[in-house]
Amino acid sequence: MTPLDELLLFSGLTLVLMLLLGRFSYAGKIATVFYAGQLLFLAKMADRIIDGSIVTFSLQVELFGLQMSWRFDALSWFFAVITLGAGLLSSWYASGEWGERFRRQGGNLWLLHVALAANVFSMLILLGSGDLLALFIGWELVSWASFLLMTVAGGRAIQAAMRYITYAMSGAMAILAGIVLLWSHAGGLQYGQIIDVIAQLSQAQVWLLVALFGSGFAVKMGLLPFHLWQAPAYAETPGPGAAFFGAISARMGLYAIILVLVQLIGLARLSELTIPFTFLDMRDLWAWIAVLTIILPTYTALRQTDARYLLAWHGIGQGGYMLLGVVLGDALGSAGGLLHVFNYATNQAVLFFAVFAVMFRTGTADLNKLGGLITRMPISFFAMLVGIIGLAGLPPMNGFVSKWFVYRSLMIEGEPLLFLGAIIGTLGTILSVYKLIHNTFLGQLRVEHVEVREAPWSMVAPMIILMLLIFATGVAPGLVLDWVALVQSAVGLPVVENTLGGVELTSGSLDMLWVVGVLFAGFGIGALLFYSGGRTRQVHQLDNYAGGHFLTAETRYHYSDNFYAGLMHLIRPWYRGSFVWLESTLGSLLGIAASLMQRLYGALHPSIYLLVTVVVTLTWVLL
Amino acid sequence: MNTIVLTVVLPLLAAFIVPVLSRVSPLLGRLLGPLTLAYAILLTLQVWLGMEGKPFSIALGGFQPPLGINFYVDRLSLLFTFLTLVTSLLLWPWRNETEPRQYALTLLLAASACGLALSGDLFNIYVFYELISVASFGLAAATRSGAAFAASLRYLILSGLGSVLVLCGIAIVYLQTGTLNLAQLSQLAPETLNTPLGLSAFALILLGIGVKGELFPVNSWVPEVYAAASGRVSGLLAGLVSKLAVLVIVRLLVLLFQQESALHLMLILGLLGAITGELAAWRAKDMNRMLAFSSIGQLGVIFIAFSIPGETGLFAGLALSLHHLLVKPALFLLAERWWGSLAGLRGAGLASPVAGGLFVLLALSLVGMPPLPGFWAKFLLFTGLAAQSAVIYQVAIGVVLLSIVIEANYLFRVVMDLFQPAEDDRATVVDGHGWLNLGTTFLLSALLIAGMLLMGPLGAWLEGVAMQAADPVLYFDTVFSVSAIH
Repeated sequence: MTPLDELLLFSGLTLVLMLLLGRFSYAGKIATVFYAGQLLFLAKMADRIIDGSIVTFSLQVELFGLQMSWRFDALSWFFAVITLGAGLLSSWYASGEWGERFRRQGGNLWLLHVALAANVFSMLILLGSGDLLALFIGWELVSWASFLLMTVAGGRAIQAAMRYITYAMSGAMAILAGIVLLWSHAGGLQYGQIIDVIAQLSQAQVWLLVALFGSGFAVKMGLLPFHLWQAPAYAETPGPGAAFFGAISARMGLYAIILVLVQLIGLARLSELTIPFTFLDMRDLWAWIAVLTIILPTYTALRQTDARYLLAWHGIGQGGYMLLGVVLGDALGSAGGLLHVFNYATNQAVLFFAVFAVMFRTGTADLNKLGGLITRMPISFFAMLVGIIGLAGLPPMNGFVSKWFVYRSLMIEGEPLLFLGAIIGTLGTILSVYKLIHNTFLGQLRVEHVEVREAPWSMVAPMIILMLLIFATGVAPGLVLDWVALVQSAVGLPVVENTLGGVELTSGSLDMLWVVGVLFAGFGIGALLFYSGGRTRQVHQLDNYAGGHFLTAETRYHYSDNFYAGLMHLIRPWYRGSFVWLESTLGSLLGIAASLMQRLYGALHPSIYLLVTVVVTLTWVLL
Repeated sequence: MNTIVLTVVLPLLAAFIVPVLSRVSPLLGRLLGPLTLAYAILLTLQVWLGMEGKPFSIALGGFQPPLGINFYVDRLSLLFTFLTLVTSLLLWPWRNETEPRQYALTLLLAASACGLALSGDLFNIYVFYELISVASFGLAAATRSGAAFAASLRYLILSGLGSVLVLCGIAIVYLQTGTLNLAQLSQLAPETLNTPLGLSAFALILLGIGVKGELFPVNSWVPEVYAAASGRVSGLLAGLVSKLAVLVIVRLLVLLFQQESALHLMLILGLLGAITGELAAWRAKDMNRMLAFSSIGQLGVIFIAFSIPGETGLFAGLALSLHHLLVKPALFLLAERWWGSLAGLRGAGLASPVAGGLFVLLALSLVGMPPLPGFWAKFLLFTGLAAQSAVIYQVAIGVVLLSIVIEANYLFRVVMDLFQPAEDDRATVVDGHGWLNLGTTFLLSALLIAGMLLMGPLGAWLEGVAMQAADPVLYFDTVFSVSAIH
C-alpha cells in the first residue's frame, strides 16, 4: 500500500461512514476525526513530496486502450492539504450546536455530511489524476459533488445549484471536446504523450485547445465571463458548506489551469499565440481576464447587503489574484499566486465562519439588520477582523504577503496597467470588508440583539485555529513558501528563494518578521502613549456619534443602509449588468428555439415532413 | 444450432394460442407467454455458447440461398434476439390479467423482432418489420383512451407511409440487382448499388424504417404515443423497437450501401434529431413527453454514431444503443406513476426515495457522468467522431456536446422538483410505485452498475461483436459456404 492508496481508501471510507451514520448527532465529530486522519495520511507522504518524488496509486485502470492512473505530486499535495484542512475545520464547525440547530430547523444534516465527504473524496481523486481521462472523470465527480452540496439548503439554493450545473456541464463539455481533440492527435491521453503532441500542433490548434480547456476550467474558477453562478451558489449553501466552497472548491479550476496551461501547454507557448487584430498574445489575455475578474466581482461585492453574498463575490475576485500570479510565471509572481490559494482559503473560511456564527445567534446575515455585536460576540469579531485584514492584504496577516508578491512581480515585469488594475481591485476589497465588519460588529447594538451571546465553542474553536494560522503564516510566510517552492519545481516554474520571513531579492526583500516587529513596536508605542497620556473615560456602547451627531440610548442609529452613498453616486453608472443581460438573453434564445421545436413536433399532419424530406433527399441524391 | 429458429416460431405460435387458451384456463393463459419467452431465452443462450463466436446461416425450408430464404446468425443478430426476448419478458404486461390480447401482441412483437434481427434477406426483413408495426399499433392503443387512439392513428399513418417508402426502396434494389438476399447483395452492391439510384434506394429505406427508429423528421408520432401509452409499452417502443429499426439500417449500410453520401445523409438527419429532440424536451411540460423528446434526441445521437464508417461507428453505436435500451425503459417505468405535469411532481422523490434515487442514477448515466456506462458510450462516440477528417463530423461533436448540456439541464430540473418539499396547497399526487415497476427498474439499474464495474471485459466483447458485424466478406462467406444447416 502506498500512502496514496491509504489516503484515498480512508477518504472513501469517510464517505461510506457518512452515508451510514450521517443521520446521527455524533456524525460531525466522527467526520472531523476522519478528516484529521486523512490529513495524517497526507502528512505521511510529505517526505516523499519534499524529495520531489511522486506518490503513485496502486490501482490502474485500462479501458478501450486508454490507461488511467492516479498519483500525487507536490502540486496535488499542496491543494490536498488545503482541501482537507477546509474539510476538517468545516465539519468541526458543524459538529456541535450548529449541526443540532440546523437539524432542528428541518435541515438535512445527513445530506450535508455526505455531500461534504463526497466533495473531499472527489477532489482528492481529481488532484491525483495522472492523465487527462482521469482528470476529466475527477472533474465531473467534483462538479456533481459540488452540486449535491449546493442543493442541501433547498429553496433559492436549488435555483443557484441549477444555474451552477448548467455552467459546469457546459464547461465540462468544452473540456471533453479539448480532450477528444488531443486524443485524435496523440492517440492517448498520458501527460507525456500530450506534451509531445502539443509541441507539434499548429498555432491555430493550440489556440483552440487553450480556448476549450481554458473556458472549461474558468467556469469552476468563476473567471469572467463565466462567474455569475458562483456567488449565489456558494452563499446559499449552509454555513460549513459555504466555508468549504469558499476556501477551496473554486481552486480546483486553478489546479487544472496550472496542470494543463502551465504544465502541458506551457506559458511560453501561450505567449506565442497572438490574438488577431490586437497587439496582445494569449498570455496577456489571461492576465487581463484575471485583472477584470479581480475588479468587477469585487465591486459587485461592494454593493451586496447580505454578508454571505459579499464574501462569495469576493471569492471570485480573489481568484483573479491567484491566476494573475500564475500567469505572470516568474518565480515571485507564481509564488504569490500559489501562496494566495492557501492564504485566501484561511481568510475566507474564517470570514464565513464568523458570518455564520453571527447568523447562528441573530438569525440574519443582512448587513442592514445587524450592528454593534462587538460587545456580544468578541471572538467572532476578532475572527472577522483577522480575516478582513488578510483578505484586504494588509500586514501582519498572510494575505499581505501573497499580494505583495504579485504586486512586486507586476512591477519587476513592467506591467503598470495590470498593476493599476490589481490596486483598484484591492481598493474595492478594503472598502467592502470595512462595510462588512462595520455593519456587523461596530456602531450601536440593536435592541433585539441585547441578549445575544458569543457562538458556542464548537464554532469558535475552528475560528481561533484559523486566526492563529493566518497570523503565523503572515509573520513566517516561509512555512508555506517552502511548499510553494516544491510546487513550482514540480510544475516547471522558476522557483522562489524564500526565507522564513519572506523573500530575498536584489530589488528589495520582504521579511515579515521585521515588518511585524516594527508594526507591533508601533502598537507598543501607541499603547504607551494611550495609557500614559492622561485621562481616559469608559463610555457605553450606545454613547456614540455618527455624522457629527451625538447618539445616545434614546436615538438608536446605525449607519448601514446605502453604505458608501457618495462613492456609489459616482460609480453607479458603471454597473451595467451586461453579463446578467447576456446570460438571460442566451436563456431566452434557447427558450424560443425550444418552443419552435415543440411546434415542429406538434404539427397536425406530420406526414408532410415525410413527403418533403423524401422529395428533398431524392433531389439531392439525383442531382 | 438451428434451434434458433424456434425463437421466432415459438412466440409466434404462442401469440396465436394465448387468446384461445386464456378462455379455457386463465392461469395457463397467463403463464404461457412468460414461459415461452423464458424458454426462447434459454435456447438463445444455448446457441450462443454453441456457436463459439463464429457466424452461421440457416437455410429455411431446405432451399439454399439465394433461392431459399435464410437466417443469418452472428453475434450481433444473436445479441439482439437475446435483448428482444429479455426486454419483452422484463416488460411483460403482468397486470393485465383480463387482457389476453396484450399478451398476444407482446408475443407477436417479440417473435417478429427476433425475426427481424435474424433475417438474411430484404423481403423477410420487410415482412417482419410490418409484423412489428401491427403489434406496436395494438400496444400503443392498449390504454383505450381517446388520446391513445388519436396517437396510434398518427403513428399508423406515418408508419404506413414509411412502409410504402421501404417497399419502393426494396423495389429499386431488386430492379438493380435482381435479388433480395443480403449475402448476394453484398457481393453485387459495389457494382450495382454504388450509384445515385442506389443512394436513393437507401434514402427511401432510411426514411421508411426511420419512422420506427425515431429518425428526424418522421418521428412526430413519438411524443404523442409515449404520452398516451403505458410505461411498459413506451419502454418497449423506445427501448427495443427503435433499436431494431436502427439495426436493420446498419446492416444495410454495411452490406449494401457503402457510400460516403449514405453515411452523411444519416449523419445530418441524426444531428437534426439530436438537437430538435433535446430542445423540445427542454420545454416539455410533462414527464412522458419529456422522456419521449429526449428519446428522439438520443436516437439522433445513435444515428450519428452509426454514421461513422467502419467498426468504430458500429462499436460506438452499439454501446449507445445498449445503454439507451437499458436506461430508457427504466425511466418510462418510473414515469408511469409520475404522470401528468412536471410541476405536479414536487415532493414525489421524497415520498418514494428509492424511485427518486433510481431516477437520479439513470439520469446521471444518461447525461454521461463518468464513470457510469453512459459516459463510456459517449466517449467512444466522441473519439470515433474525432478520428474522422470530414468537417461535418467535427460539427457533430459540437452538436452532441451541446445536446448533453441541454439534457443535463432539463433532467436535473426534474430531479430538483422531485426532491423539493411539495407546496402546502398542493397535495402530492404520488402514491408510490408498484413493486413490479420498481423491481424492474431496480433490476435495470443494477445491470447498469454491473456494466460500470465490468466495463473492461464488456467493452472488449462488444468490440468483437462490432468487428464481426462490420465485415461484409464474412457475411457472404458464411452464407455461401457449405455451412447451411437444414
